[in-house]
Amino acid sequence: MDDFGQVRKEAARILSEKKVDVVLGFKSGTIPLKAQPAFITSAKDANTLILDGFCQNNLAVFLHDLPKDKRIGFICRGCESRAVRALAIEHQVKRENLYLIGVPCSGILDWKKIQDEVEGPITSAVDNGKEIILEIHGEKQTLKRNAFLVDSCRTCTGIEPVGTDVIIGEVHLLDLDDDELPPTWAEEFEKHSPEERYQLFTEETDRCIRCYACREACPMCYCAECFVDHIMPRWSESMVTRGGTQAWHLIRAFHQTGRCVECGACERACPMDIKMTYMTDKLNADMKKKYGFEVGADDEKQPPFATITLDDKNRFVS
Amino acid sequence: MRRNPRIILFQCQFCLASSADQDWVEQHLPGHIKLVKVPCSGRISPLFIMNAFQKGADGVMVSGCLPEKCHYITSNMGARRQLDEFRDFLIFLGLEPERFKFVWMNISERGVIQKEISVFSAELKAMKPNTKFNTLKGEIIEQYHG
Amino acid sequence: MTSKVIKKDALNKTITGWMRSYDVIAPVSSKEGIHFRKISDAKEFTLQGNQKPNYPPKSIFLPQSEVLFEIKDGSYSMPEAPKRRQIILGMRSCDARAAWLLDTVFNQAEELDLYWARKREKALVVSFGCASMCSSGFCDTVGSGPFGKEGSDVMVTELDEAYYLEPLTEAGEKLTEKLDNAESGHSKAAKEIQKSSVVKEHTQADLSKINEKLYEAFDTPIWKEISESCLGCGVCTYLCPTCFCFDIVDEVDRSERVRNWDTCMFRIYSQEASGHNPRPSKAERTRQRIMHKFAYWVDNEKASGCTGCGRCVALCPVNLDIREMVQVITGLPIQ
Repeated sequence: MDDFGQVRKEAARILSEKKVDVVLGFKSGTIPLKAQPAFITSAKDANTLILDGFCQNNLAVFLHDLPKDKRIGFICRGCESRAVRALAIEHQVKRENLYLIGVPCSGILDWKKIQDEVEGPITSAVDNGKEIILEIHGEKQTLKRNAFLVDSCRTCTGIEPVGTDVIIGEVHLLDLDDDELPPTWAEEFEKHSPEERYQLFTEETDRCIRCYACREACPMCYCAECFVDHIMPRWSESMVTRGGTQAWHLIRAFHQTGRCVECGACERACPMDIKMTYMTDKLNADMKKKYGFEVGADDEKQPPFATITLDDKNRFVS
Repeated sequence: MRRNPRIILFQCQFCLASSADQDWVEQHLPGHIKLVKVPCSGRISPLFIMNAFQKGADGVMVSGCLPEKCHYITSNMGARRQLDEFRDFLIFLGLEPERFKFVWMNISERGVIQKEISVFSAELKAMKPNTKFNTLKGEIIEQYHG
Repeated sequence: MTSKVIKKDALNKTITGWMRSYDVIAPVSSKEGIHFRKISDAKEFTLQGNQKPNYPPKSIFLPQSEVLFEIKDGSYSMPEAPKRRQIILGMRSCDARAAWLLDTVFNQAEELDLYWARKREKALVVSFGCASMCSSGFCDTVGSGPFGKEGSDVMVTELDEAYYLEPLTEAGEKLTEKLDNAESGHSKAAKEIQKSSVVKEHTQADLSKINEKLYEAFDTPIWKEISESCLGCGVCTYLCPTCFCFDIVDEVDRSERVRNWDTCMFRIYSQEASGHNPRPSKAERTRQRIMHKFAYWVDNEKASGCTGCGRCVALCPVNLDIREMVQVITGLPIQ
């Protein structure tokens, strides 16, 4: 993470040279294991920028709120750069107003898992890219990083930032010794029978409290009126019933087909620890298999549901 | 199952060119099958299908024209990708594949719809009533049970 | 009121005894930690250290979705009131205090909310104090503490070999009257634990000064700056034990009128039918939330609307910290 000093320098440079109005990144959180999104407007504040495994949001989500004519410097990891590409294809951001600084990523850590692993209050936490160093009751405890990566990062295939103006730092794939890590929830899901899969899906959605943190944390969910807020017709009850919540999860996942950048920000935002990426992973895999489409692979290809070709006439046989 | 399966048929208004077929679908459809006629299969959103299963359908059938025969030229292809993927998605989440069927027909064919419906109906009757995604008037999931 | 003790290995027996006349609602293990459920066996009761359920127990009295009435054959029918009395076992003082605060909204004789009141009058709250505070909690700075008495009928302090019970109300006294009396050694140990439970570095927040400063800052642009990273989700409000806003919906398909939790953090919360929205951006909505907790509650009830449970701090997806926000706006600390 020493390269990050270079990133701070670059951020300070583009601000002082007035190439951008604001730089989007992360800064230290108010409690251990957390980080806050940072909106840096002056070069002297650039030294508050950090990047580590506790930076658990996909910052592309803030591109929607910032005015479209603002020039934005954006320190982005792989998934965030894919989100920018996908948003540009959908005309939600103006690529020429963005200055993307690609950075390497060591994967995001599951802070709840870290808390559950140790006994006692964590008074400080440091992620140096190789280990997690915690302080509990004045004593240091070190944890191996890989065991605490979130599922989406373990299965990440797009760690290299794409379409950025510059990449600062060396990007390498995560060094995961697959044998010692249990399979991810999504990998396990596929192996079950249809009855069991429905049961698992229901168990996960039953915990949902409809806070919509998943939707708000997702950079690709930007509809001015979400389908759950429609009254006529009413697709999903706003009550916490099985029907309403199943409809919410399944349709939100479906609306992400060929658009989801597989960052996992939805699962990390959820206060009830609900699994969701298994659905979008499957839908994206289908898009790759059926239409050869990968999110963020290039700057122009439209998502499969936004386009048709005459090849389709031979595709769907009853 | 002993009772007749509840089936929803989403039918494109143009796919049955023969007026005999269209009349049959509108007036002589067996009672356990409900017809939802749409101007084009491109109008069918996956939300309709989800709604049908949630309200207790045992099976959903979507009937429309072949890709190159669409009255609106390419409209039906727009929804085709979505509906096809939606079916795979519901199957991934546990729905039995036999419950969601597509019938894409050439307008020159006659008598197809009656055959398809009767086969579909018989298949579903042999299966148990659908319990998946059937959540009409579902209970409130309270995060605490009182 | 006489303090009582239950020996540690006799707790389950006591709870089982209570279950004969009451429904006992207690935290049980769950995928996301613990949550409150009606238990059918005393062994299900789980409460370790200073843990508390993420999902707030205000849902016991104000369920997230509640049927107000059902329409059948042209006539209304209200759901039945709970038949048995209930013991809410294992509340924390932050949540019990929240129920006490919400009583000022839902349980006042002149403006009784029948749905809340029916449940409240049948329920006894047996709280367990926290010997050491949770990491994001700050109950001790907002007028209470880990052993705060408001809202509970009995406060339990865990000692080495026993549980020390202090009845705080008549109902609590009646519940515990048959238990063994506490001895002076127990009382001393309990007082020690209670005294050392607060965080030394924490100071009492000056609520009236904070109230004043918040009003002064009302029309300034500070609110836009502090709410920049807010996602506009409902995590803070739904998990907050004192947030009580609700939305009433007529679910025609179900022939029911339902009351659901609502959140001022959603854009559509204050959206009017004309399309006008008096709180059009996150700045106004964040201002509303903070003013409600630290200004309007203080105006109305002379108490902070925030009980310092720390759920919003721990679970906000972008680590927005209400303590930091108040400090930035008013220059006054909450910590």
